Formats: sequence, structure tokens, C-alpha cells
Amino acid sequence: MDQFTKGFCESGGNEVETVYVNRTKELPEQVDLFKKADHVILAFPLYTDAMPGLVKAFIEALEPLCGRSENPSIGFVVQSGFPEPNHSRFVERYLEKLSKRLGSRYQGTVVRGSGEGIKIQPSWMTRKLFKHFYELGTKFTDENGFNREVMRKLAPREQLSKGRLFFFRLLDKTGKGNFYWDMQLKQNKAFEKRFDKPYQSKD
Amino acid sequence: MKILILDGNPDPNNTQFEEYLADLTKEIHGLDNEVKQIKLRDLNIRYCTGCWGCWAKTPGKCVFPDESHDVCREYIHSDFVLMASPVLMGFTSALLKKTQDRLIGLLHPYFEFVENETHHLGRYEKYPKNGLLLDRSQNTDDEDIQIIKDMFRRFSLNFKTELAFFGLMAQDTKEVARAIDNI
Repeated sequence: MDQFTKGFCESGGNEVETVYVNRTKELPEQVDLFKKADHVILAFPLYTDAMPGLVKAFIEALEPLCGRSENPSIGFVVQSGFPEPNHSRFVERYLEKLSKRLGSRYQGTVVRGSGEGIKIQPSWMTRKLFKHFYELGTKFTDENGFNREVMRKLAPREQLSKGRLFFFRLLDKTGKGNFYWDMQLKQNKAFEKRFDKPYQSKD
Repeated sequence: MKILILDGNPDPNNTQFEEYLADLTKEIHGLDNEVKQIKLRDLNIRYCTGCWGCWAKTPGKCVFPDESHDVCREYIHSDFVLMASPVLMGFTSALLKKTQDRLIGLLHPYFEFVENETHHLGRYEKYPKNGLLLDRSQNTDDEDIQIIKDMFRRFSLNFKTELAFFGLMAQDTKEVARAIDNI
């Protein structure tokens, strides 16, 4: 989202306030900022096929603003760890309906898979992703919303292509597919316990 | 059947919701099932922060010591879990959602393929079937209901199970109890 903000601000005279919805004690101020904005983008990671609980709490706090004529336009960014964008298309339908419920003009939902581990990826892996988000930012004002072409580049296919499916299955068979999690587990000295079932006993 | 009912109603003044669930519990119990109901608003359950401790530090268990652990244990030892919630802003409550988030440790971070799509690997041998019971608000329409149903079907798919029951609180409790008993 920093890339988006950079692009948006560099395309001339725009003000961006980034609000962290996980600061739940600041909810009244966050709702107030929502009211005063021209555009709002709500970005979140997919949690059990939907929005995180604290994002739902923020949404519930917006109820008094439903149908308000001065509501900002609203767009969404949904990132998931699964490679396929399809996982996020279900909450996307909810988000489009949410815009209608609020009476806010719907900007669209940017969906991006394979999001886990971005913060530890080297720059050659994140360059393209960051470039796309920067471009979404620079084009936002002129297009009065998310550029559709860039959104398509971020989610080119809903399901894995035959080639990518073959590649993932091969990774899986050779045990290399879990490289990221195995690395984390080993760093935490928890690799041997990776298949633990802590709730197996009834007590 | 061993049945767990997760009461996702955040409002103690919504007595209609609570009376319905109490009646439903009685009906299900009358059909010779073991029923346990958990009122989620009475538990200390924090929001998931996405720290991945439950996957990479203490595999299978959240690092935060609150009452979500009790819910996880009850969940995995049940045959059927009924999630009940009012519809707020077009979806189930934040209270129920944050509880679902804290169940993620019951799954493994590794992926597996289900119908050519990646999903999380199961951690346990057996997962309970899911049910969802909604209490519509005045501004809930049929599109909302369909969206919620489809999202919960996806939740069940990821939780190695199926959405075996879906109903609204407009239905008679005897009818709902019978439908659940037949699962």
C-alpha cells in the first residue's frame, strides 16, 4: 500500500491518511476520518475466506453512515496467501454490496494472491508487484478509481494454469513447496513439532 | 451426535436471539444429541493479529493465552458445529468472525490440492461438519443471504468439511433441530 500511496501523492497535490484499523481503541476517530474523506481504500488480508474480525468490527462501526449522501467512494484491496485470486472473489461480492449499503461509489476490489512473505522477499521478487501498486496510485486521480488494466495484471488468472498447477504439484511432491514455512519453523526451533495436534486430548 | 453451538450474538439485549437458541438447544437435546452452547460474547477472545505463531512458533496453538483455546478444543472434538449470528452490515458478526479467525491453528500452513485448487492441509484426522444459522436484520436481503452462504461454504471447504446445514431464525426450532439431527 506504501507503493500505492507514493504513486498517488506523486501524481499531484493529493493528501493521504493511512489508518490502521487494528488500533481498535481509535474506532470513533477512524469513523470520523471516513466521513471526511473523498475516497477510502480498505485493504486487508483474507482471513478464513473473509475479512479479518477486526475489519468486520470497523465495518459494523460504519453502520450509522449508511445511505449518507456525502459518503466517500470506496475501493478495496484483498491480499491472500493462496496463489489463486478465486479465493478472494467471494468476499469481493460482499464488498461490492457493502458499498451499495453505505451508498458509496464502488471503486472496485484489487485482488492479489501469493501474498505471504512479501516482507522477507528480495526486491527482484517484489519489483513487479510494487510497480503495479505504484501505477494504481498514479492513475487513481485521473481515472477517479482503480485502473482496470493494472487490476487485471495483478490477478491474471482465477485458477492455476495447467503449467503452474504442474509446477506446484511437483514442488509439493519433492517437499520443496513448503520452503517458506519450513524456514520459519526452523528459525523458531519448532520444525520437529510442525505436525503437533495440541487439542488432541479432550482436557 | 456431539454438537457445539457457537452463539455469535454480541448484544445481550437481543433476547429473541437467545430465546431461540435456548429453545433450539432443548429440541436438539430432545432428539438424543449431546449439545454444548458457547456464548462467545462472554469469553475473552482477542482479535487475530496474523503473527503466524500458531503455524510457525507453537504449531497448532495460538501464542496468546485467552479463551479461544477452549473453543478450539471443543470445536475439534465435536461432530457438528452450528455457528449462529445476527446479520450485521450484511454479514455475520465481528464476534463470530474473530472466533473463526482464531481457529486457523486447527489447520496446517502447508497447502494441499482440493479439486485442483490450493487449500490448507488438515492438522487433525477428523473435522466437524458445519452449520450456519442467521438472524436477519431489517435491511438484510436475499442477496446478502446468498453471499454469506457462499462465503461459509468456502470456510467449510478450507476447514476440511462441508456446510451441512444453513438456516434462518424465521424457521421453527423443531424443524431446524430435525434437519440437524438428520445430518
